Amino acid sequence: MRYLVYILKRLVALIPVLIGISLIVFFLIRLIPGDPAATLLGSHATPETVHELRTQLGLTQPVWRQYLTFLGHLLHGNLGYSYVYSSSVVDLITTSLPVTIWLLVSGTVFTLLIAVPLAVLAAARRNGVADNVIRAVPVIGLGLPSFWLGIILILIFGLKLHWFPVAGYGNSLPEHLRGIVLPGITVALALSPILIRSLRASMIEVLSSDYIVTAHSKGISTSRVVLGHALRNAAVSSVTVLGVNIAYLTGTTLVVERVFSLPGIGQQMINSILGRDFPTVQGITLTFAIMVVIVNLLTDLTHAALDPRVKLS
Amino acid sequence: MNDEIPEGLRVPMISRRRMLRLSGLGIGAFSAAPLLAACGSSSDTTSAKKKGGNLVIVRAQDSVNMDKTTVFSNASLWVYQQMYETLVAMTDDGQGVKPWLAESYQMSADNLSCTFKLRSGVKFHNGQPVTSADVKFSIDESSKTKGGWEFINSAIKEVKTPDPLTVVITTKYPWAPLLADLSCPNNGIIPKDYAGKSSKDFYQAPVGTGPFMWGTWQKGSALTLKKNPSYWQPGKPAVDTVTWKVVPDTNARALQLQGGQAQINEAPPFSSISQVKNTPNLKVDLFPSTRTDYILMNQTKKPYDDVHVRRAISYAIDRQALVKNILFGSGSVANSFMMPSAPYYDKNSPGLQYDMAKAKQEMAQSSVPQGFTTTYLAQSGDAMDASIAQILQASLKQLGITMKIQNVDPSAQHDLTTKLQYEISHSYWTMDLADPDELVQYALDPKSGGHSFNTGMNDPDLIALVHKAQREFDKTKRQELYNQIQEKAAATAFLGFLFYTPFPYTQSDKVKGFKVLPTGYYHLEDVSL
Repeated sequence: MRYLVYILKRLVALIPVLIGISLIVFFLIRLIPGDPAATLLGSHATPETVHELRTQLGLTQPVWRQYLTFLGHLLHGNLGYSYVYSSSVVDLITTSLPVTIWLLVSGTVFTLLIAVPLAVLAAARRNGVADNVIRAVPVIGLGLPSFWLGIILILIFGLKLHWFPVAGYGNSLPEHLRGIVLPGITVALALSPILIRSLRASMIEVLSSDYIVTAHSKGISTSRVVLGHALRNAAVSSVTVLGVNIAYLTGTTLVVERVFSLPGIGQQMINSILGRDFPTVQGITLTFAIMVVIVNLLTDLTHAALDPRVKLS
Repeated sequence: MNDEIPEGLRVPMISRRRMLRLSGLGIGAFSAAPLLAACGSSSDTTSAKKKGGNLVIVRAQDSVNMDKTTVFSNASLWVYQQMYETLVAMTDDGQGVKPWLAESYQMSADNLSCTFKLRSGVKFHNGQPVTSADVKFSIDESSKTKGGWEFINSAIKEVKTPDPLTVVITTKYPWAPLLADLSCPNNGIIPKDYAGKSSKDFYQAPVGTGPFMWGTWQKGSALTLKKNPSYWQPGKPAVDTVTWKVVPDTNARALQLQGGQAQINEAPPFSSISQVKNTPNLKVDLFPSTRTDYILMNQTKKPYDDVHVRRAISYAIDRQALVKNILFGSGSVANSFMMPSAPYYDKNSPGLQYDMAKAKQEMAQSSVPQGFTTTYLAQSGDAMDASIAQILQASLKQLGITMKIQNVDPSAQHDLTTKLQYEISHSYWTMDLADPDELVQYALDPKSGGHSFNTGMNDPDLIALVHKAQREFDKTKRQELYNQIQEKAAATAFLGFLFYTPFPYTQSDKVKGFKVLPTGYYHLEDVSL
C-alpha cells in the first residue's frame, strides 16, 4: 500500500514535468530552420502548394494555438499524426519502443553480469593484481565511444567468428535474443566502469565495517560474508548510481541503435528530427522523459527494498 | 521486346525535370524511369534464370511514401518504380526511351500528338487487365495533383482513349520532351479510380504492373516487396522478395554487406571504395550517373550579383583537387552544368576551369577588388560538403575573400537555399529523364519554381533559348541550341560547376544483373542471386 501510494504520487508529479518538457521541445524545434511542408514536398513545390500543406498541417496557426491543440490532443492520449510517415505517432512509438526497452534491459543485465563479479573480486582482493587490473582497464573503456566499441564487437563476433548477426533485430524471439547480445554488451561496456568503481568503493567500505569483522570472527566463510552480508549493503548506493546512469543512457541508446541498425525509438528520433516531423519528435521526447522518470522511480523503489532505513515519501 | 523506335523520335526523347537533391534528406528529388534493359543485359537475363532468394539492399534513408504524383525522395522513387511502370522506359544509356507498357508509339506530323499502342495481356497485381482508361486516369492524376510532379505534364493538353489498347496524347504546343516525360515515374500506370479505393488507401498498399508487388513496411526500418508471379516479361523477376533496409550508419551498412546480411549497399562513401575492392566476395560498381555538383552563388545578394566575382570564384576552384581528395579519383571535372550522361551535353563547352591568375584578374575588375567576407552554408554531417567548403575556403583566401563556414542540418540548408537566404553554398542535381530540359529549365528559367537553381539568376536571352529548345524537334538544331545555352550559361558563372560523380554501389558477388541507369533508377526484375 505504502508503495502504491508512493508510486501514484510520483506519477502525478510527472505531469508538470511532462508539460515543462513538451513546452520546451515544442518551441525549440520550431525555432530551428527547416519547414516540414517544404521538406515533404521537395524543391519543386510552388509557394502556394507549400502554403496549402502548411495550412493542412496546422502550421499556419499561431504557435501558442498549435501548442494548445497539441496539449488538448495529448489529454486524449493522441500524440498527433506523423505526416512524414503517414502514421499516427502512437503507432510509431509502440512499434519502436519495445526495441529500445529490450536494449536497455539487456544492457542492464549485461552490466550487472560484468560489473558485480569484477567489483566484488576487486574489493575482496584489494590492492592485489586483480584489483589493479579491474580498476585500470574499465577506465580505458570509459573513454571509448560506444559507436567504436560497437563496430569492434561487430568485427570480432559478427564478421570473424559469426557468433552473432552483424546487425538487426530479427523477427522472432530467438532472433531478438541473438541480435541483442552485441548491442547489450556495447551498452554494458559503457555502463560497467561506473558501476564497478562505485560498487568496489562501497564494498571496501562495508568490508571494513564492524559487523563484517564480527561475522568473520564468528567463523562464517569468506564467500558468505562477502556475498551474503557485504554485497547487499554495498549495493544500496550503487543502485542509485546504476539508475541514474541508465536514465542517462536512455538518450544515448540511439548511438547503439544506429550502429546495430536496431529499429528503436532513438533511430526513429533522429529520422524525425531530420524530416522536421514535429509531432513525432514531440511524442518521442515525451516518451524519453517518461522512461527516465520511470527508471528513476524503479531506482528509488529498489533502493527502498534493499535498505529498510530508506523511507518512501 | 520491341526496341525499334520510330524515326524522328529516337532523339528528342527528352524531358525535363529536376531533381535537386533535397540535400541529404533523401527528400531530394531525383527521378527515375523504369527501365530495364532488354538490350544491354542479355547476359544478365540469362543469369537471371537462377530463381529465388531474398535480395536485401541497405540504404541510409527510408522511403517517405508511395504516392508517385507527389513524392520526390529517391528512397521512395527507387522502390515505387518496381511497382509502377510507364508507357515508355528510359534506355540504359539514358539517352532516349524505348517501348515498355506501350509496345509502339507514333508522333503526328505536326508534333502535337503521339499515339501509343498498349501491349496486350498486361495485368495489374490485382489481376485487372491494363486498358487505355487506366493510362488516361494515371496521366491525368499526375497532371492535376498539385505540389508534386505535375510540372512534368504541363505541356500535355489531353489524353484520349479511342479504344482499350490505344492512347493518344496531345500537347498544347510542340513539346520535344514528351516521350521522356512519359518515362518519368510520376506517369507510372495504376488502375483507374485507384481500383475503387481512395487515393490515400490506394497508396498505403499500391497496385501496379511492375515486377514486384506491395509487401510489408515497418516504417523507419525495412520495406519489403514481393515478386509478381504474373509479370508480363516471362521468367522475370528472379528473386522472391526485395527488402530495402534502413541503416543510417555508413560503417554499419558496410559491415552488413560483409556479414552477408545484405547484398547491395546504396551509396558507400568514395573513401571506402578501394578497400571494398580488396574484400573477397564483394564487388564495386561505379555506374555513370547524371549527378553534377555545383557551388551555388546567390545573385540576389551582393557582391554575387557581380559577374566578375562569380567568375573569379569559379576560376579559383581547383576541381582536380576536389576529384582527387573528395571522390578519391572516382569522378571527373565538370565543364558544363549539364552532365555527360545527359542528352545534348556539349563536351566542347569550355566552362570556367581552374586558373588562379584569371581569378585574380576577375577580382581586380570586380566591385570588390580587395575581397570581402562571406558565409558558406554547409550541411552538417556531410563529409563531402565539409571537404568542399574547406578546399574552397583555402582557394578564396588567395582572392582576399574570407569565407566563414556555417553548418546547419540538411533540412535547414535546403530551406535556406530555396528561400535564397544564403550567400554561397553547395548542391547537386541528378536527372530524372532522358532529356536535358528538366535541368535546363530548373537551372535557368526562374519561372520553373527553382529560382534558377536557387541562384536568383534572371537572364532573358538564356530563358528565350530554353523555350526555343523545348519546342525544337530537329536533333541537330536542338543540339546547337543546347550548345549555345551551355556556353552562355558558363560565361555568366551562375553556378560553379564542380565535378561529375558516378553512382557507387557495393555488392555481394552473388548478385547478378544489377545495373543502375544514369538517373539512378534500376530494374530489379533483371537481378538474380
